[in-house]
Amino acid sequence: MVLEVQGLSKNFAGKPVLKDVSFNLNQGEILAILGRSGAGKTTILRCINNLTKCDRGTIKVDDMYLCREENGVTVYAKPAEMLEIRKKLGMVFQNFNLFPHMSVMQNIIEAPINVFGVPKQKAQEKAAELLEMLGLSDKANAYPFELSGGQKQRVAIARACALNPLVMCMDEPTSALDPELREGIATIIENLARDGMGVLIITHDMNFARRVATRIIFLDDGQIIQESSKEEFFANMGDERIRRFVAM
Amino acid sequence: MVDYISRLMPALLAGLDTTLSVFFLTLVFSIPLGILVALGQLSNIKPLVAVMKFYIWVMRGTPLLLQIVFIFFGLPIIGITFDRYPTAILAFVLNYAAYFGEIFRGGIESIDKGQYDAAKVLGFTPVKTYQRIILPQMIKIVLPSVANEVITLVKDTALVYVVGLGELLRAGKIASNRDASLVPLILVGIIYLVLTAVLTTAFQKLEDRYSYYQ
Amino acid sequence: MKIGIDKSALTLYHIKVIKRLRNKRKGEEEMRNNITKLILIMLILAFGVVSLAGCSNQTANQAPSQTSNQEETSAGEDSFEKIKERGYVIMGLDDTFAPMGFRDENNEIVGFDVDLAKEVFNRNDLELVLQPIDWTMKEAELNAGNIDMIWNGYTITAERREKVAFSKPYLKNRQIIITLADSDINSKADLEGKKVAAQAGSTAVDAMYTEPDVVATFDGGEPVLFDTNNEAFMDLEAGRSDAVVADEVLARYYIKLKGEEKYKVLSEDFGDEEYGIGFRKQDKKLLELVDSTLDAMRKDGTFDAIYNKWFAD
Repeated sequence: MVLEVQGLSKNFAGKPVLKDVSFNLNQGEILAILGRSGAGKTTILRCINNLTKCDRGTIKVDDMYLCREENGVTVYAKPAEMLEIRKKLGMVFQNFNLFPHMSVMQNIIEAPINVFGVPKQKAQEKAAELLEMLGLSDKANAYPFELSGGQKQRVAIARACALNPLVMCMDEPTSALDPELREGIATIIENLARDGMGVLIITHDMNFARRVATRIIFLDDGQIIQESSKEEFFANMGDERIRRFVAM
Repeated sequence: MVDYISRLMPALLAGLDTTLSVFFLTLVFSIPLGILVALGQLSNIKPLVAVMKFYIWVMRGTPLLLQIVFIFFGLPIIGITFDRYPTAILAFVLNYAAYFGEIFRGGIESIDKGQYDAAKVLGFTPVKTYQRIILPQMIKIVLPSVANEVITLVKDTALVYVVGLGELLRAGKIASNRDASLVPLILVGIIYLVLTAVLTTAFQKLEDRYSYYQ
Repeated sequence: MKIGIDKSALTLYHIKVIKRLRNKRKGEEEMRNNITKLILIMLILAFGVVSLAGCSNQTANQAPSQTSNQEETSAGEDSFEKIKERGYVIMGLDDTFAPMGFRDENNEIVGFDVDLAKEVFNRNDLELVLQPIDWTMKEAELNAGNIDMIWNGYTITAERREKVAFSKPYLKNRQIIITLADSDINSKADLEGKKVAAQAGSTAVDAMYTEPDVVATFDGGEPVLFDTNNEAFMDLEAGRSDAVVADEVLARYYIKLKGEEKYKVLSEDFGDEEYGIGFRKQDKKLLELVDSTLDAMRKDGTFDAIYNKWFAD
């Protein structure tokens, strides 16, 4: 298991957004968390990546605890440990959040060099590899504003992959793309999984989930309604809410 | 006339010397201080934010001339005394840092919040985030406003007259009074125009340098 | 004029820059968060500011540290002993004020009052330090201890007597009315409906208001005020103002410079005045010293020699 989430709970302004969410992710798996907007999907991603602190819960990345519930109190990892955990986590945002003042190459090597002390040469080589893999080698010196939406997404993926993470998180990977580009991103995600990463996708795009996921979790109102393999999920939609969602 | 102008120049240039030294020292201190003021306002420490807001209100809400007079003549009453030149620099730095602080804060706030998220998941600390990601982007955003303030500063330097310091405009007035002629003031005007032209060009070049991205 | 940058302030700035560069290389384990850095840098800045407070700096002339002046000449005490110990006396003047005290083309401060003062203190073994000030702040500068005397065509008035102590009058002055040579104004009555210019804050304005019924007849019901006499005269030449009221001493300097044939001085005036030297009220010894020295200079002809140098027609 590369990611273990247990008993994750979060309230915003008194309202519960996540209620006791638990799930796991394995190497090579593509897990899609499906649900309507506002179901709490993005909050899960933000908690896993420590962009938001959860109220209660245990999150374990590989063999390290990002946060752990002990005696009713949730204890977070210390900064040094957190940094190690960040190496194992990659995050691709819905609107990519590329650094506009840096070139594609600079975007990818910035964290490795300035945060993790990777030698510039090595970082550049790895970046070149990633760009090659993603078909962007000729864009290495371009700036984000010169790129199309699909290209920006691939740069965001490359940037997230620069430190060889075990878990790749993606927030609504198809929302910013034209439909014909969906197949391309699906292939990329499958390649990442084949290379050994566990991929966690948040999406409300049911068709995309059907295309790319190996396992699906349905989240509604902060709770997991169903968790099963893709085939099983679409064959057997037990809950009324899922049926309504799929019908939309 | 040419002879008269060349006789005037030494005194005018001496005044220009003071103008430029006040100008440069003010920028050197007020810009870093302005960044701190901006960060202070954006921090989570409530008392700090309140102090900053008060400071900005006072500095922008009273005339710079009054601030200079207050520091030089008012503070000694409670035992804090500054010499003329340090008074001028202190007043200018505090005043301009407030204006720069607001400019920088506006610039930083206009940066997409997603940049902070991206930096955080990549492992950047808050300090590094500001250093590598936020402040570099802020520069491009605030350049036009900063250029405005800098050009205003050139002319504001004339206010040091109130503590008896002789800068360019005063040198012009002295010569004008002494010789009952407008020529010195015309020269002073030309010198200010030249200074402004130099600064405008410099900032244009800076803006060009930052146009490599959008 | 030297750029009077205090070296310690510059060094502090360099320290700040070097600190920042070093932090870049050291990495984030050193700095926990930006708030700590913020507080640290603010402390450095505050220290820099405080150190600026203590330093002395160059103005046009060599005036040693102001802070020691203020401590010495504290309220209430006659500062003469301290001045003697110090070896110099500071004279405050507005260096735009031709011909009483102003800068020549070599940027030296010269003038009738300057020459008088130099002679007075030469005879008393004290160095004279000239400190340019803003004229509107003259009493504040005197009472703060930044200067020891106001000596710059300073008219004696009752209001000013409340704030400073005056020497004996050393020069007579009139508030005269000047027009262009071809003007049809010949008396105060002719000023009715006309624009009358004067320097703001000067005794010319006060003198006019001793005859408020005359002022009321001016165009606009009041005089037009300018920053300097020079500007008032320029307005006269431009034809926008019809007359200027100013100190005779200053006006005659201006007229001489521009050409006497261009102007007319009315025989009527707005009153006599006298120039005096202003001292802090408690500085009786210094005042007496200046008075007695000026008397001596009048007796032995030095005063007249200086007068003729500046005002001989």
